[in-house]
This record gives sequence, C-alpha cells and structure tokens, in this order.
Amino acid sequence: MGKIIGIDLGTTNSAVAVMEGGTPKIIHSAEGRNVIPSVVDPISHVVGDVAKRQIVLKPKTTVFSIKRLMGRKFNDDSVQFDIKWLPYTIKAGRDGMADVEVDGRTFTPQEISAMILQKIKSDAEAYLGSKVTQAVITVPAYFDDSQRQATKQAGEIAGLEVLRIINEPTAAALAYGLDKKNAHTIAVYDLGGGTFDISILELGEGVYQVKSTNGDTHLGGDDFDQTIIDYLAEEFKKENGIDLRKDPQALQRLRESAEKAKIELSSSQEAQINQPFITQGEGGTPLHLTMTLTRAKLEQIVDPLIQKTLKPVELALKDAKIKVSDIDEIVMVGGMTRMPKVLETVTKFFGKESNKSVNPDEVVAIGAAIQGGVLGGEVKDVLLLDVTPLTLGIETLGSVSTPLIERNTTIPTSKSQVFSTAADNQTQVEINVLQGERPMAADNKSLGRFVLDGIPPAQRGVPQIEVAFDLDASGILNVKATDKATGKEQSIKITGSTGLTKEEVEKMTKEAEVHAAEDAQKREKIEARNQADSLIFTAEKSLKDAGDKVTEEVKSQVEEKVSALKGILDSGSKEDLEAKTKELSDALQKVGQAMYQKPGQQPDAQASDAAEPKPDGEASKDSGESSKKEEPVEGEVVN
Amino acid sequence: MKKNEKKIDTNEFENLENQLKRALADYQNLEKRIAGEKSEWIKLSNKDLLLRLLPGLDSLLLAEKHTQDDGVKVSIRHFLDILEQEGVKKIETEGKDFDPKAMEAVSTRVGEEGKVVEELRAGYTLFDLVLRPAQVIVGSKS
Repeated sequence: MGKIIGIDLGTTNSAVAVMEGGTPKIIHSAEGRNVIPSVVDPISHVVGDVAKRQIVLKPKTTVFSIKRLMGRKFNDDSVQFDIKWLPYTIKAGRDGMADVEVDGRTFTPQEISAMILQKIKSDAEAYLGSKVTQAVITVPAYFDDSQRQATKQAGEIAGLEVLRIINEPTAAALAYGLDKKNAHTIAVYDLGGGTFDISILELGEGVYQVKSTNGDTHLGGDDFDQTIIDYLAEEFKKENGIDLRKDPQALQRLRESAEKAKIELSSSQEAQINQPFITQGEGGTPLHLTMTLTRAKLEQIVDPLIQKTLKPVELALKDAKIKVSDIDEIVMVGGMTRMPKVLETVTKFFGKESNKSVNPDEVVAIGAAIQGGVLGGEVKDVLLLDVTPLTLGIETLGSVSTPLIERNTTIPTSKSQVFSTAADNQTQVEINVLQGERPMAADNKSLGRFVLDGIPPAQRGVPQIEVAFDLDASGILNVKATDKATGKEQSIKITGSTGLTKEEVEKMTKEAEVHAAEDAQKREKIEARNQADSLIFTAEKSLKDAGDKVTEEVKSQVEEKVSALKGILDSGSKEDLEAKTKELSDALQKVGQAMYQKPGQQPDAQASDAAEPKPDGEASKDSGESSKKEEPVEGEVVN
Repeated sequence: MKKNEKKIDTNEFENLENQLKRALADYQNLEKRIAGEKSEWIKLSNKDLLLRLLPGLDSLLLAEKHTQDDGVKVSIRHFLDILEQEGVKKIETEGKDFDPKAMEAVSTRVGEEGKVVEELRAGYTLFDLVLRPAQVIVGSKS
C-alpha cells in the first residue's frame, strides 16, 4: 500500500509532507526547497520556482494566486476585486464560475491547481521511490462547500484520491498534537505570504470544530516587504533625489535587499544593506545603496500592518462568543509569524505564549500528513513511539548519578554498562535507580533500589558487575545487575518510569538548567575526590608491593603525601585535591623509578586492573558510606 | 466462542504484522535514501556558504562594469577560478535563449524575442545543479 501524503495547497506557496517511521517529514521539491511557489504556466506545463522566474516575461500566461478563484463565481465580489490586480485574464465559465484564459485556452481553477498538485505528487514520488495515489489536502476554514469540492476535483485531476479535505487551522493544531493534549479552545493565527487568517476552534468528540474565522485576504508578507522597499527607497530618494522604484532593475535589487533584511532582523538587531552601483546620478556618477536597518526601525515601520491583524482577531473571538482568557492554546502559522514583533504582539493580546516550535511554513502540511497517517492506519497509539522524558541511571561512587539511558531516547530501548566495586573485599553492591538530569544522585528521584550480594571478595575494581537497563514501549523499566564472575543476578521492575506529568518533567528539566553551573562544580569536585581516592589506593598498594625495594626516604615521602591527601579527601576544595593528588603522583614516580623492573604506575592504573570497566564507571555502592570509606571494609553492609 | 477468540487473534496478528512491515520498510527506505543523500551532501555541503559569498562577487562584477578597472577584472577572474575548482560555474546567458530553469526574467526590452539581451546578475551552477539562477533582461518585439 502506498503512502498518503499531506498537502498544504497555499495561495502563495504549497508544501507537502508524509509520515515516515511514525513521524511527519517535509518532502523537499526537486529544486531542493521545502515549499513550492503556487505558480503555474499552464501552456508549457511549468510549475513552481521555474514558473515564477518567467512571470515578468509572461505576465498573461503565468498564473499565480489561483486559490483566490477556487470554487468562486465570476460575479463574486472577491473575484471582481482580484481581477483588478491579477495580470492574467479571468472570465466567466460554466455556471458562471470564474475561469482563467491563457493564450486563447480556458482553464478552470481546478485544472491550474491540479498542475501544482501534479508537481507535488511527482516530487513526493521521487522522494519516496514509490507511487503516490492518496492525499489529504488542506483548505482555509472559511472555504465553503463549492470551494472544497473544487479542491477535491483538483486532486482528482492530478491523479490523487483525496481521502479528506481538512481545515488548515485544524492541521496546524494536529501538528502540535493539541487534540491529544485536550486543548479545548484554540486560536490559530496564520500570517502567510498574501493572506491573514484567524480561526477559533473548539474540540468536540476528539475533532476540532471551527467556531469562527476572520482575516484579511490581502494582508501578508508581501505587504511587509513592500513597506520595507518603500522605506528604503524614500531614504535613498532623500539623499540622492532618485526614486529607485522607477527602475525595474534597481527595484529588483531593492526587493531582494528588503526580503533579506526582513529575515535577518528576525534573529539579529541590525541588518546591513549593501547594493553598490544600484543606479547612476547626474553625469553618470555611480550611486550606492548602503544602509543599516535596525530591528527597532523595522518594527516601527511595519507596526501598522501588525496592528491590522488584531481587529479580525477581536471579531473572530466575538463571533465565537469567547473571551480572550478562554483560549487554551495559540498556534502560529505562516512565515511572517517568525517576526519577533508579531509573536510579541500576539502574546500580549492573548496574555500567553503561543505554539511556534514547528516551522510555520511547514506546520499545515505536517498536520495534513499526520491526518493521512491516521487514515492509513499508520498513526496508532501502539505505533507512536514514546521517548523517555528524563535520564535514567544509577548512583555511583561519591553519590554521583551515572546515566544509562539519556533523556529523549526513543523507547523501547536497552543499555548496559559494566561497573565495579569501590572497596577491597566488597561483597555486595547496592543499585540505586535514578531518574533526572542532575549530576548528583541526591538531587534526582530514586525509582527503586536493590542489593546484589555474594560477590567473591576481591580487590576493589576487580569484580565486574554488569548493570542492564531495559525500558519497554509502555515505559516499564527492568534493571538487572549481574556479577560476571559468579553469574549471580538480581533485578527490579519499575513501572511508571515515564508516567510523569508534563509539569513534573518541565520542573525537573528546568531545575537541571538552573543548577547546571553549581552541579558541574559539585561533580568536578567529586571526580577530583574519586581520583584522589583511587591514587591513595594505588600508592598504598605500590608501597606494599615494592617492599624494601624503595628507600625509607622515598617511602616516608609517599606516606606523608598519602596522609596529607587523605586528610583533605572530604573537606578539601577541588583545587586542593587536584594539587595534593599531583604531589602524590609525583612522589609515586620515584617508587616506580626505584622498581625499575616494574614500569611506573600511573594514577589511573587501578581502573585498568579490571578488563572492562570504564575509568569512571567504578563502584556502585551505598552513598552514605562511600564518603567515609578509606579502609577496606569487609562485606559492606547496606541497610 | 473459542473460534471467535481465535479470529480476533488473527486480526490483531495481521495488524501487528502490517505495522512491523511498515516500520521495516520505512527504515529500509530511509537507509537507501541516506546513502544517496550522503554523496549529495558531500558535494553540496558548501551550497549555503557559496550562496552567502555570491553577493560579494556580485558587487565586484558591478564595480568592474562601472569602472572598467583592470585590477578589479583580474581579481574577479581569480575569484571565479577558485569557485570553479569547487564545482561552481557561471551560467552563460547573453545572446542565449531564455531558460527559466537557470534564469530569472527581471524585465523585458526591445530585442530578439525570447533571447537574453542583458545579464543583470550572474547565475551559477554547482555540479550541474542550479546554485542561483541568473537575473536577465529578455528581448521582446514590442
């Protein structure tokens, strides 16, 4: 069975997405772009970017904004309005419907749209490597039955079975999973290239119903560009007395500069406009356009346009008989909603942040693809793979939290790591299963703990304890610890490791961010302490092994350094620990030199005693005791 | 009763098998595509950077056009040579037929119909892919 694609058939641009591996993906056009300009040359059958490039050359045969005519009568007010500015010929066709005449041939808006859909279809097939026959297409919420029928027909002409026509705002809501979140009343603010739509939706029986819509069919990014062009041109005129807008070549460069500056100013505070030799002054002297546009200036000049969107929003709320405070979620759609000032204005109006994480040019197509996935049976709860919201790990030496499964890992998944003991002759380890982002065990949530005992007495670092985490699709965590020497194992099953509310996850993640700096310090200190502890052990062992091969002088030197380091093991600062560790390490070199037949032991030699343990993966054991632990204690007891 | 239960099982089984097949197919297709995309990426990884560099070259070209300075001319040649080594080639336009795949018409001027009369901004290809279309004025009878 083929894939069902989701299509956002837009006025200015169109986009297409498909479900893959349970997640929606935007399909790029053959030209490598995420959107396809809704521009068609029906005579030579050219669509998209290529058609757009010849628009100046063939103004009468290149059709754009065809969506404005879909399913409309020639006598409709809106058609009569658009006729005035659209350069191609519009005439009355069958049943008084608006048709387009190109080079003496008549095309219905459906046929023109079908050419866009055909291009989308073939680009999708090239991407997927298989035939595409079914699609979900989106339409504005205000489209009436005739307009929806026309859209469906367009799909059929293009050879697509249109499984469903869905509303653009609904698609945007689906893309954010708002239906799953049970967001009851939502507002979708869609500021596109040429149109502005505001829709108020309400969730009823799992489906969003349109409560009201409003908007401005001739307000969008193009108007913003024009405002910037006018501003730049006026500034240039003030200085040089020449109107760049009168020269088509200069205007072209001005337009590009304006669009580039607009995009740049969404992420930076200043944009440089550099167009050398843009025109010639008196006597043929070349003139350059060099200007700095600040975000503040841009916001000032486009503010009337942004304010213009608020009136329709108020009307839509009034029609829906809903107060601003009743809106649970706001969704941003359309490229212009990237402008910080637009976001700010909307946030201020509704008194809450909007959903804007999904690319606003792609969000509608993504929602359509999700709907397609639902219809095709691809999106089912079973198949929607979850991720672990927080990191899962165990507590190791020095009360450190060592992660095994990092947050945002797709489940089901399993991970294992080999650990060892922290003390000589330690016969049991306690596995404390932790959840959270903080590096210290105590700051994370303990999900459960168990003891693996019966480990044969051995030097610290020698036993190999494999700890395996297995997290299944429903979030049940199985933790198993196995002593590789004896094969003895112990395990625990933890349910509800993912059953945290969104708020809990957010709180824990935020805490981790807030404490990031101090946590890192703490962790560094513990690491320094562990390293010192490990070196003390090595030093004592070396001295014992060396016996009388080393002089008393060297021996006492080392012993002195060992006791100095021991003295500050738990009280010293990270710097002190490191300094004293270094001193001991240097003193220890002499022992190595003395035992010339035995190469000098490096500070971390202890960790390499065991075959597999990672240098830091040492010893999971009771946190309370580990800090006091210098003397090897027999069979460490855990309460 | 038992038969009924079995039927549900079969249904469920088919359903699960279907989903498994789908997931495997998605995965395999992804692998195939990644292999293809990888070689493309290596070739085209410079695309964004090149696109951002081109406006600088545009200014140099304009400077040359207006000043007819030999030094600028040599510098441009040098720049273009470097770009060519990276797979970037200038799109030939003037006197050629207008080709919307590689060119963008900015305006028209009296001249031979459908032929490029003047190039306003050079266009470039990167390994046969259009990196940036050329902006041209196209001839028209009227």
